[in-house]
Amino acid sequence: MKNNISRQNVYLLALSVFLLIFVLIFAFAFLIPEGKEYRNKGADLRKENKELKKYENFRDNILEKLGELKSENRNIIAAFDRDFDAVRFEKMHREYFNSLSVQEKVQLENENKFSVYEVNTTSQINSPKSFYNFLDAINKSDWIISVNFPIHFKREEEMIRSSFTMTVYGIAKDTNTSIGDLNTSE
Amino acid sequence: MMYSYIKPRKKSLFTPEMQLLSIFFGITIFMLLGTYLFLLFKDYRFTQDRSEIIELREATSMEIDLIQKSIISIEEEKVLSETVFTKNTVLKDSIANMFDLVPQRITLSEAKLLENGLVLYGVTPNKDIYNFMLQAPLRSIFHRTYSSFYPAENGWLHFVSTNYVDKEEEIIMKPIDEETQEDDAKEEIEDEE
Repeated sequence: MKNNISRQNVYLLALSVFLLIFVLIFAFAFLIPEGKEYRNKGADLRKENKELKKYENFRDNILEKLGELKSENRNIIAAFDRDFDAVRFEKMHREYFNSLSVQEKVQLENENKFSVYEVNTTSQINSPKSFYNFLDAINKSDWIISVNFPIHFKREEEMIRSSFTMTVYGIAKDTNTSIGDLNTSE
Repeated sequence: MMYSYIKPRKKSLFTPEMQLLSIFFGITIFMLLGTYLFLLFKDYRFTQDRSEIIELREATSMEIDLIQKSIISIEEEKVLSETVFTKNTVLKDSIANMFDLVPQRITLSEAKLLENGLVLYGVTPNKDIYNFMLQAPLRSIFHRTYSSFYPAENGWLHFVSTNYVDKEEEIIMKPIDEETQEDDAKEEIEDEE
């Protein structure tokens, strides 16, 4: 049988086969694995993005809640942050008493994150109503103050002498900060 | 000597078939390489984006922690302040109730409001008025009530009324013997009165 394929065509065929093999090897060895990696990384990225969106949405929600809480409790937050000032306290509440004396500020043990101070108070009132008004006013004062038992009322001629302790709450800052005793009397 | 009348054509390596083949494989290889480079670049970008997203997520997570701490802190402040305000209001009501409890015919000279009790000092025209108008309502409020009297200069009686509320836990914890002893003591005091 006589071979009719020319030498030229044999070269052509050989080159074609070689290039085809190169294309196939390149595709299977590099392109397809890289494509798979691209797909996986794309999926990972989308997943991370979704997760980030969740975090951001949650952050936005709680940030909104924090804003609402802050605006609703502005006075309370400010009251906790403010240091107790006996002179200012006396000025603010003098109108309810004939005389008012805030004697000392003693730091008690912190309750959780709150610093607690105790203040001894003696006062003179001409009727119990003044004391009721004082208790109403103390809830609207610049500090978070609780009036404690025991409360002692004693009649002194036409006046009532009252003595009691108050607890002032604040935010505990630096525990090493020294707290100067305040001693004011009227 | 000539074998042909035409001129021999020049033989070249780039025959039309070869050119076609080169163009075909050239384009194919170019597209494959292009795609490969594109994928490499995208992979690199994906890796970079992912690390940026992770950093951003960690920052957001830290921000969330801070915000949550602030929220908890404000809520604690709110709860404590409400407790304090309620305590003050209850205290005001307690004091008002105490003063309302004292009838006009009895004069108080001193009052001590304790956490679990009340001590009253004053003068009463006689024991009956004290017993009916002050001791009876006090007994309905407090668990233990003790009274003592001593004469005043104007013929009235000075009195000291000591009243205590027993905490429920204390009542439960107290042994029966102690309760019985206490009841006996109470009866003795009442007898003395």
